[in-house]
Amino acid sequence: MSDKILEVSDLQIRYVTDEETVRAVNGVSFTLERGESIGLVGETGAGKTTTALGIMGLVPDPPGEIVGGSIVFEGQNLLTLPEKQMREIRGGKISMIFQDPMTSLNPVMTVGAQIAEVVLLHNKITKAEARERAKKMLEQVGIPGSRCDDYPHQFSGGMKQRVMIAIALACSPELLIADEPTTALDVTIQAQVLELMRNLQKEYNTSLVLITHDLGVVAKICDKVAVVYAGEIIESGTLKDIYTDKRHPYTIGLFESLPDIENDAATLKVIQGSVPDPSNLPEGCKFNPRCPYATEACRSGDIKPVKISDTHMVRCNRFSDTEV
Amino acid sequence: MKKKHTMLSEIWRRFKKNKQAVVGLIVLILFVLVAIFAKQIAPYWYDDQDANRAMIAPCMQYPFGTDNLGRDVLSRLIYGSRYSLSIGFLAVGISVLTGGFLGVIAAYYPKLDNIIMRCMDLFMAIPQMLLAMCIVSALGSSLFNLMLAVGLSSTPKFARVVRASVLATREQEFVEAARAIGASNTRIILHHILPNSISALIVQATLAMAGAIISASALSFLGFGIQAPMPEWGAMLSAGRKYIRTQAYLTVIPGLAIMAVVYALNVVGDGLRDCLDPRLKK
Repeated sequence: MSDKILEVSDLQIRYVTDEETVRAVNGVSFTLERGESIGLVGETGAGKTTTALGIMGLVPDPPGEIVGGSIVFEGQNLLTLPEKQMREIRGGKISMIFQDPMTSLNPVMTVGAQIAEVVLLHNKITKAEARERAKKMLEQVGIPGSRCDDYPHQFSGGMKQRVMIAIALACSPELLIADEPTTALDVTIQAQVLELMRNLQKEYNTSLVLITHDLGVVAKICDKVAVVYAGEIIESGTLKDIYTDKRHPYTIGLFESLPDIENDAATLKVIQGSVPDPSNLPEGCKFNPRCPYATEACRSGDIKPVKISDTHMVRCNRFSDTEV
Repeated sequence: MKKKHTMLSEIWRRFKKNKQAVVGLIVLILFVLVAIFAKQIAPYWYDDQDANRAMIAPCMQYPFGTDNLGRDVLSRLIYGSRYSLSIGFLAVGISVLTGGFLGVIAAYYPKLDNIIMRCMDLFMAIPQMLLAMCIVSALGSSLFNLMLAVGLSSTPKFARVVRASVLATREQEFVEAARAIGASNTRIILHHILPNSISALIVQATLAMAGAIISASALSFLGFGIQAPMPEWGAMLSAGRKYIRTQAYLTVIPGLAIMAVVYALNVVGDGLRDCLDPRLKK
């Protein structure tokens, strides 16, 4: 059953300042079906968060600017939607979990009030009912409902992130965007939060866009993976495609830089060089300055995406002639 | 209803811990009660003149002495609390509302920032007293116009303070999170930004209240606003100036009254800020 909920095509976002133009997102495309989850993986500054903000319609403008592409959510192009309708979608149909739970909660509002706020904004119910709902949501993320009237500073980091999840899911959204939801948490709490997210996602049949630089996290909860590099998706496919049949030199490099429990190598392999400056991207393949296989052809022109299989796409010249 | 009650009692519980603030609050309440029941408390009418008892130093019958026209200073002080307190509260109320509004708008909508703040700079360039005098003389002198003048002339200061703290707050991630749940601008401002930037405003307001009482009395001295027999503290202070070498109590006593109110306002403001901010909760 194919039930497309989100289709991002050729999304291009720039940050324009007086000094420079930062090309943060350069033609990102992906689709997501109901109940499916996709992981956007990549280094810091690859444009993952900007993509997410683009979907939410929250790219700060100025300096941010969406210069091209479309984001179709349930048949509507979000980029052309007026602000008022966009507000109804935000929090109601699409919600977002931010990276840092410490700063994402309003410090002078009780957590119950903050959960109730989103419920009240999107449903025509009374305050008392919203409060009940907030309590129920808190219990669902494993926090006793009696802590409804506590302030964020009375919670630990992991609990705050649970509260964020409760806020994000309070209106049973169709799509949840999680921007590095576990980066600010320690490892044991990470596992708990991920488990919780996955269970709730399955329960509500919510689609999920998970942004992370942690390949382990992706393997745990995603169905599909897209590897983002310098604002482009350079390889995408199902979990199996990427984890067992990776093609792009960058993806391979990423996996090689992970420690392996069976292989106790003293030093890990690294990808030479660093992410290109997004205000001054290289010609041709964005990865060519760091790529061990780079040829003349890689240094100019557009690199076309190549289909390895129905689900597996890679953007690399090495595969352009070898039809698989 | 019940929830509101528990919230207030929670705030009160935290406020109580700050002994200094409680003392300040008691002093403030006493002054307010004195102002309300001035008629019952004051031994004389504030304008009972009697040349025979002019310039009597504080004694049993006249605890704070009498002035050059033989009026009882205590009674004048008691009636004066009505004017001084209402000027303090209302003038600052006016500047909190106008300055707060302009500051929030300027900080939240960058397009309006320059327009609003340059206008504020323009007003700041005019000495505050001069500006207040212009406003009173344009509107005609009355108690309310005096408050308006004092309030409006300190609007730019409030706008600056509020703008600065809103600018810092609006960059916080929880504001973005509020936007991400579909909150409107008005809602973000009222529920997320203002409560987080209010402490600067409260402190500024308590400090400004003292200033407002002083500038109102300066204006009264110049003949704007409160007119001669009316016993405004500042006016009493400036009237007593002439006798400061021989009858110092004429300036010291109204001065002490102003100081007590200002002190009380400051500690209460401090305490209020601490107990309204759940982050500082122990």
